[in-house]
Amino acid sequence: MLIQEAMSIQQKLEILSDAAKYDVACTSSGVDRKGTGSGLGNTVGAGICHSFSADGRCISLLKILFTNQCIYDCKYCINRRSNDVVRTAFTPDEVCTLTMQFYRRNFIEGLFLSSGILYTADYTMELIYQTLYRLRNDHHFNGYIHVKAIPGASPELIDRIGFLADRMSVNLELPTAEGLRTLAPGKTRDKILVPMRQVQQGIAAQNRRFLEGGGRIRRLASYGMSNSPQHPGRNVWVPQDNPGQRNFVPAGQSTQMIVGATPENDYQMVRVAEALYQKFDLKRVFYSAFVRVNDDSNLPALPGGPPLLREHRLYQADWLLRFYGFQAAELLSEERPNFNILLDPKCDWALRHLELFPVEINKADYYTLLKVPGLGVKSAKRIAAARRQGVLNFADLKKLGVVLKRAVYFITCSGKTFQPFKLDENYITNQLIGAEQRKVWDIEHHSSYRQLSLFDDYKVTAPVTSADRQAVVSGAL
Amino acid sequence: MTVFICKEQVDDIWCGIYEAWMSRLGHANVRLEPEGRNRELFCDYRQVETCAKKAAKVTDSIRNRLTEDIYELVYKAALSQDADRADRIYRFLIYAFHIGSRVTDMLQIPAVFEIFQINRNLNIEFNHMQGFTRFSQMEEGVLLGRIGPKNDLTALLANHFADRLSFENWILYDCTRMKAAVHRAGEGWIMVQADSAEWQNRLQKATDENEYELLWKTFCESIAIRERSNPRCQMNMLPLRFRPFMTEFQ
Repeated sequence: MLIQEAMSIQQKLEILSDAAKYDVACTSSGVDRKGTGSGLGNTVGAGICHSFSADGRCISLLKILFTNQCIYDCKYCINRRSNDVVRTAFTPDEVCTLTMQFYRRNFIEGLFLSSGILYTADYTMELIYQTLYRLRNDHHFNGYIHVKAIPGASPELIDRIGFLADRMSVNLELPTAEGLRTLAPGKTRDKILVPMRQVQQGIAAQNRRFLEGGGRIRRLASYGMSNSPQHPGRNVWVPQDNPGQRNFVPAGQSTQMIVGATPENDYQMVRVAEALYQKFDLKRVFYSAFVRVNDDSNLPALPGGPPLLREHRLYQADWLLRFYGFQAAELLSEERPNFNILLDPKCDWALRHLELFPVEINKADYYTLLKVPGLGVKSAKRIAAARRQGVLNFADLKKLGVVLKRAVYFITCSGKTFQPFKLDENYITNQLIGAEQRKVWDIEHHSSYRQLSLFDDYKVTAPVTSADRQAVVSGAL
Repeated sequence: MTVFICKEQVDDIWCGIYEAWMSRLGHANVRLEPEGRNRELFCDYRQVETCAKKAAKVTDSIRNRLTEDIYELVYKAALSQDADRADRIYRFLIYAFHIGSRVTDMLQIPAVFEIFQINRNLNIEFNHMQGFTRFSQMEEGVLLGRIGPKNDLTALLANHFADRLSFENWILYDCTRMKAAVHRAGEGWIMVQADSAEWQNRLQKATDENEYELLWKTFCESIAIRERSNPRCQMNMLPLRFRPFMTEFQ
C-alpha cells in the first residue's frame, strides 16, 4: 500500500478528517480543569460546542485519524484494507501544529485522535503517544484530548497514553460477538474489552491513591443506574489540587456502537450499554447510525438512509439510563425488543405504567418526578427547590421549564389535573402522538419542509363545482 | 410616581438603584428607566449621576447581606439585553433583602422569575459565545476576536479566555457596543472603549489569516456526513446571527 507523504497539510487534513467523521466524540460529561498558568488551554466539564457541521452534529474537537492506512478489513469501514482510497498519514508535528493553531483561534476544544492501524497496533499507538507527548510537554497544551485505545496494543503503552489524554475510548463497534465476527474479521470481543478493562482499572487505582492521600471525591451528575436513591452520584475525581501532575484519563472512557449494520434489536443494544455503564464504569456510550460507505454483500441495504430515528431513540434511552434511574429491562423486553417509533421511550414507559400516575407535583419525591414525561433533570430540581417555598400550580410549572404538552397527562397540582381527561392508555397515546408525530416526521424527512395540504395529505379530491365558484364570488361560504 | 433615569452600564444601574432606594419615596412610588423613553404626565423625572462610591455601596450590601450567588444573578442581569433590567433588578432586590438567600428558588414570584429568565437567556448566549467566538491573528501574533452578542458578554468572555489563552496577547472586540477587552500575555485584561478613530484603524488592519482559515474551512466541510445532511438542525444549534462573525461561514 502506498502512503502519500508529499501531500500538503490541507490535503491530508481533508482526507484524514473525512475518514474520522464516522467516529462520535463529545466533550460533555468531561472534566473541569483550570488553566495552568504555564500553558495553553483549559477544559470545561459540560463541554463547549465550537461549531456545527452541515449534518447538524457539533464540532468540538479536531477529529482526525493519524493515518487512514489499516491492516484490518472491517466491512463497514471506509478505510478497510481492500478499499482503494488515497492513503496518507500525519506526522506528530503536523498534528501538534494544527491543534495548537486551531485552539489559539478558538476553533476547537481539543484534539480527537484516532487512527487506522499502521503495521501493528503497538507501532500505531507509539506514534500516537509521540504526538500526545509533544503536545503536552513541548507545546504545553492543556486543553482536552480524546484518544482511541487500539485493541491489541501493549498495556504499558496504553498506560503511558492514559496519563496524557483526558478521555480514552475503545470502539465496541457492534453489540454482539457474532456481529463482530461477520463484519470485523480482524477483531474479537475479548480483544476490545481488554484495553477497556485496563483503563477502568487505571482510573479506579488512581481514585484509590487519591483517597489514601487524604483527597476528597466530589460527586458529579446524578447517576441513577444503581437504582438506589441514596447513592445517586458517581464518584468523579476532580483534579484541582495538583494542577502540575497529570491524572489517568480524568474525563473517563467512552465507546461507540454502530446502529443498524447488524440485525441486533434495540433491547440488545440497550442491555449492552447498561452492562458497559455498570461493569466498565464508562462515561458515555455513543451510537452511530450506520452509513453504507462500502458496497458489501454482508452489509444491509438502507433505502431510507441511515437509521437516524433509531439512533435518536437509543440516545433518549441512554439518557434515561444515565440520569433518570431507569433500567434497560424497564424500557424494553424480549417480547417488545424495539422502541416505539411514534413515542419517546419515557412516554412509552409511562403509558405502560399508568398505575403509577398521576403524580402530585407538590409532594412526589425527586426520583418520582424524574420519571414523569416532560420533566427533565433541570425542571425536577427546580420543582424540588421551588415547592419548598410555596405551592406550585400549572402556570408555575410552565415557568420552571416543564414541557406541559406531555406532562399534563401524568401530573396533578394540589390534587387537580390541568384539564379533565381519561386516564386511559389509548386516549393519552392519541393525544401525545399528535404532538410527537411532527417531530418524527422532522427527523426522518429533514430538509424537506412543506406545508400540509388538504389535497395531498388527506386525499380530498372533490371537484370544484360551479356552485362553489358562485359561493366564493358572493362571499357566501 | 418618581422615575429615575439611568444610563446603560452596570455601574449606572447600581447608582440608579441606590438613588431610587435611598430616596425613601416607597418602592411602589419609584421606577427605574433607561434614557430615551417617552415621558409620561404626572411623573417626576430625575436623572441619576453615576458615582463609583454609590455603586460600591449597592454591590457591597448585596454581597455582604445576601450571597455571592445573588450578586452573580443581578450582575449578569445588569449585563443583559433586557431594556427594563434596571427596574427588574430593583424589584428583585426588594424581595431578596426581604426573604434572604432562599429567594433564588422562589420562581413563583414574578420579580424573581424575570431575573431567572434574563439569566437563562444570558447564560445560553454566553455558552454559545464561548464556542462560537473566533480569533484571527494580527501582526506580532496578537489575536483579534470580533463578537456581536445581544447581551453584553465581553467581560464574562474575557474572563473565560483569560484562563484559556493566558499566554497569548488578545483583543476581544464587541462590534455592537464598540468596546474591547484587551489581554496581555501572562497578565490580566482591561476593558477599553474602542470607538475612537485610532482604535477603529487598528482593528481594521489586515490579519494574516488565509492559511488557518482555509484549513479550518476544509475541516468543517469534510467532517460533515453527506448522508445525514440536516441544515435545519444546524440552524437550530447554530443560529444565523452568529455566523457573520465565524470563520467557517465567511
